[in-house]
Formats: sequence, structure tokens, C-alpha cells
Amino acid sequence: MSHPSAMRIFLKTIVARAYPRFVAAYRNRAWLITETLLPLVGTIAMIYVYRALHAPARFLGFVVLGGVLLAFWQNVIWAMATQFFWDRGAGNLELFAMAPTSLAAILLGMALGGAYVSLTRAATILLVASVLFGVSYSLSGLLPALGVFVLTISALYCLGMLLASLFLFYQREAWQLADAMQEPIYFLSGFYFPVRSLGAVVGGVGSLIPLTLGLDAIRQLILPGTPQFIPLSVEVLAVVAQIIAYAALSQISLRYLERQARQDARLILRST
Amino acid sequence: MSTAIRQWRGFKAATRLGWQISSNWTQPLVFVLYSVLRPLSAAFILVVMYRVISGGGANTAAYLAFLVSGVAFWSFVQYGFAGLSNGIAEDRGEYKMLKYVYTSPAHFYVYLLGRGLAQLASAVASALIVLIVATIALGLPINPLHINYPLLLAGSSLALLAVIGLAMAFGVLLLQARDAHGYGELGSGVLYVISGAIFPISVLPGILATIASLSPLVYWMESIRRSLLGSQAIRMFPSLSDGDVLLRLLVTTAATLILAHLVFSWADRTARQKGLIDMETNW
Repeated sequence: MSHPSAMRIFLKTIVARAYPRFVAAYRNRAWLITETLLPLVGTIAMIYVYRALHAPARFLGFVVLGGVLLAFWQNVIWAMATQFFWDRGAGNLELFAMAPTSLAAILLGMALGGAYVSLTRAATILLVASVLFGVSYSLSGLLPALGVFVLTISALYCLGMLLASLFLFYQREAWQLADAMQEPIYFLSGFYFPVRSLGAVVGGVGSLIPLTLGLDAIRQLILPGTPQFIPLSVEVLAVVAQIIAYAALSQISLRYLERQARQDARLILRST
Repeated sequence: MSTAIRQWRGFKAATRLGWQISSNWTQPLVFVLYSVLRPLSAAFILVVMYRVISGGGANTAAYLAFLVSGVAFWSFVQYGFAGLSNGIAEDRGEYKMLKYVYTSPAHFYVYLLGRGLAQLASAVASALIVLIVATIALGLPINPLHINYPLLLAGSSLALLAVIGLAMAFGVLLLQARDAHGYGELGSGVLYVISGAIFPISVLPGILATIASLSPLVYWMESIRRSLLGSQAIRMFPSLSDGDVLLRLLVTTAATLILAHLVFSWADRTARQKGLIDMETNW
């Protein structure tokens, strides 16, 4: 009997783990509503804050683009970082560990499926908020902005894989930790205002999150007049570096923490 | 044992349970940090947004105080509304104990009131810390000696009743859903937009502004700002006196409680009829 190659198993695992996410994107209507409306409601609230302040129109664009990337961040936190925690609670993690595949492939599948789910939500937010509030964008920068967007999302999901391995060590506090990674990250990443307003130190710290530099670069490309945090080319290079760094770190971390979790019997710990 | 003692014991147990569920996952200091991290960050976001537009010039303290007071006290709605309505779904789906609450001697209202008040304890700490930090850091014109405490307490007590009433009704309504993840946050997000917490409701389009003016939360926010800031408060209803604001808060709270009771009763009856109280859900 011939055995499938390791690469084939790896790729099939990615597809297998991504598949439920593709299907769930439309099947679970309850999530469809919350995943779209939650970021949209937050975005609308912030748009009204700017309206109350009589801010120039481009600031509404800042908020809408922030809301678009917010959908991805929420997906990374609730469906990537905490996923192994949920899987452990549901008894899936021990099955993953026994399967003849790697957790890295499972995470990659999760990221692929998750990115697709978020893309559908983000597109809705972009469309609805832009039409409702008459936000316009510079079309000349659209193509490069899409390129930066793909790079940013790749870096973000690599960070998500890193967080997923770290969350293996949390129990009940995983929920609270994920919860606490919302507004502070919205602040540090400049979701609702130009990143430059944070200053060099806070903006520098916030730049560890791929969304910060990616969002600033996208704004520079399609919202003329965006105050520049650092030059566009440097931001793009930094996001590429983050993809490599977070991908490598996530693999190292995953290997170490999986071994540690096996030793401490945390793969089968029921904590929910 | 008298009915009152039975209900009191049920209330105490529910409050303790609610507090343990929300806080015993970590050490007290970490819990306090966790409780203030989100509202403090939300306040910083608004401060930066405002500074970007205003340029950080003089006379910005009054508007900053408007923003910060709204965010600080919003914790009550965040914890009270989202926390309690999610708690009902968790009691059923995660802890599988909602059916036992129904069969216990304490009235379901009493149980939920206890659960809700436990959530509000975290909100008090959070609001206080956000106000203190922001007042010191931003030089807000809030002086503890000049606060109108009777107005603050009366307004907040009424609003909290309304919030808990709304959360109870919404939470029991969510029992109809197999998967209610995120709906508590979504509900509080919608209330955030129409509450005047971070912008005056006059900015909203006509129909939304009308709906907002029927919400007790708007008058609560107004009373908070008037009590904290006195004459320096930016007013959403400049033509109303403090007494008028309180009266409107009283009337809208009463209307909210009646509506919440009707929705609660209907949702509760439907949940019992359909056997939803002990339904297996997606936990």
C-alpha cells in the first residue's frame, strides 16, 4: 500500500481545515449577522464622532478603512488565536494531535478559511459605510492598495498563528485575554485616526501589529492628504518583514508549546 | 421561611455567582487592569480623534470631558447589558444550569437582578478609574468637591434599572436562538450609537435622533455630564433644566421597564412552550 507524501498530507490538511470555514461563511446566519454588524456599528459610531466634530471628509474614510481591517482583527482574535482553546474545550485538539499531520497545516487552513470569511464581511462594511456616508477614494492608488492589503492580511494571519500557539497555555482567562485585545489594539493601530497622531513611540510600539503599518500605507494610497507616519516604501518593507518574522516565530512557538502542552497534559484539559 | 428571606437568599447567591463567574479567572489586580483596559483605550481613541481635529488648542477640556464621561459611564451598559444578556445564554449553553435556576425557589427576576448587579460592580471600578486617570492626564474640569452627587446617583440608579431591564428582556429573547454569540455586544453597540455617549444625538439622522430621544440612556448621559461638570458641561438639551432631564429620565425608564417586562414575559413563555430552557446549544 502506498502512502501519500508528507506534502500531500500537508496540503490536504490545509484544504480540510479551511473547508468548514468556507461553508460556515454562509451557513451560520447568526455569525453572519454579528461578524458584519459588530464592526459596522462600531465604524458608524466613530463616523458620527467625526461628524459631530465637523471633520474633513477624508477622516470618514480613515474610519471606514479601519472598520474594514477591524473585521479581520476580530476574526484573527476570535477564530485564530483562541481557536485551539475552543478546540480543546470541544475535544477536537486531542484528535488534531493524534492525526498524521501537523498543527501548522491546521493553522494555515484556519487562516485561509478565516481570511475568506473576513473578506466577505469586510467587503460588506466597506460598501455599506462608504455608500451611507458618501466616502470616496482615489482610484489611482487602488491597485497598489490591494497589494498592500494582501501583504497586511498575510502578516496578520501569521501573527494569528503565533497567538494561537500561545493561547494553548491559557484556560478560562483565554476569553478575557482575547476580549482585552480589542480597544487597546484599535488604539495602538490607529483604526480611527491617522497613525502619525500617536507619535513616534506609541506608533512604533503599535507597528508591531501588522495592521498599523498596513492600514497607514493603504490610507496613503487611496485617501490623499493622509498624514504620513513613515514613508510608504518603508511601511511595505516592514509588513513583508513581519510576514517572514511572524511565520517563523509561529512555527518555532508552535513546536515548543505543543511539546510543552503534551508534557503538561494541556492538550486534553477541559477548561470551558 | 418567609418569601422575602427566600428571595433575598436567592438574590445574594445570584450576585455572588455573577461576581465569581466574571472575576475569579484571575488575581484581583489583573482583574482590575482587565476591567479598565478597554474603557481607558476607548477614551484614548476619542481623545486622539478629537485632538487630531481640534489641533490640541485651548478650550478643548469641555469637549474632552463630554467624550470621557460618556465612555467612562458606558462601562455600566457594556457590563450590565452585554454581560447580563450573554450570561443568560451562558447559563443555558455553557454551564447548563438555567433549568435549575428556573426550578429554584428564587424568582427568575430576582436571580437576574443579582447576576446583573454583580456585573455592575466591575463597571463602578472601571468608570472611577477612567475618570480619575483622564481628569489628571487631560486636566478635565471635574472637581470631586463640586460634583452634584444627588443628581448623579438619582440619574444613575434610574438608568441602571433600565439597563438591567433591557438586558433581562434581551437575554431571554436570545434564548430563542441556538447560537447567540456576540449578540449582547451587538445590542450594546447599537445602544452606544443612540445614547449620546460619544457624540450629541443631534448629529444622527432624523429617525435615529427621534428614537434616541426616547431612550433613557440619553438623559442619563446628560445628567452625568451636568452633575460632573456643572455649568461647563456641553449640553445635548440646553433648554431643559436638571429637573426636566431627571423627569424625562424617569418617564423613559418607566416606559422601558414596562416594554422590557412585556418582551421578557413573551420570550419567557415562548421559551418554556418550545422547551428552550434546557436546549443544547453550540458551546
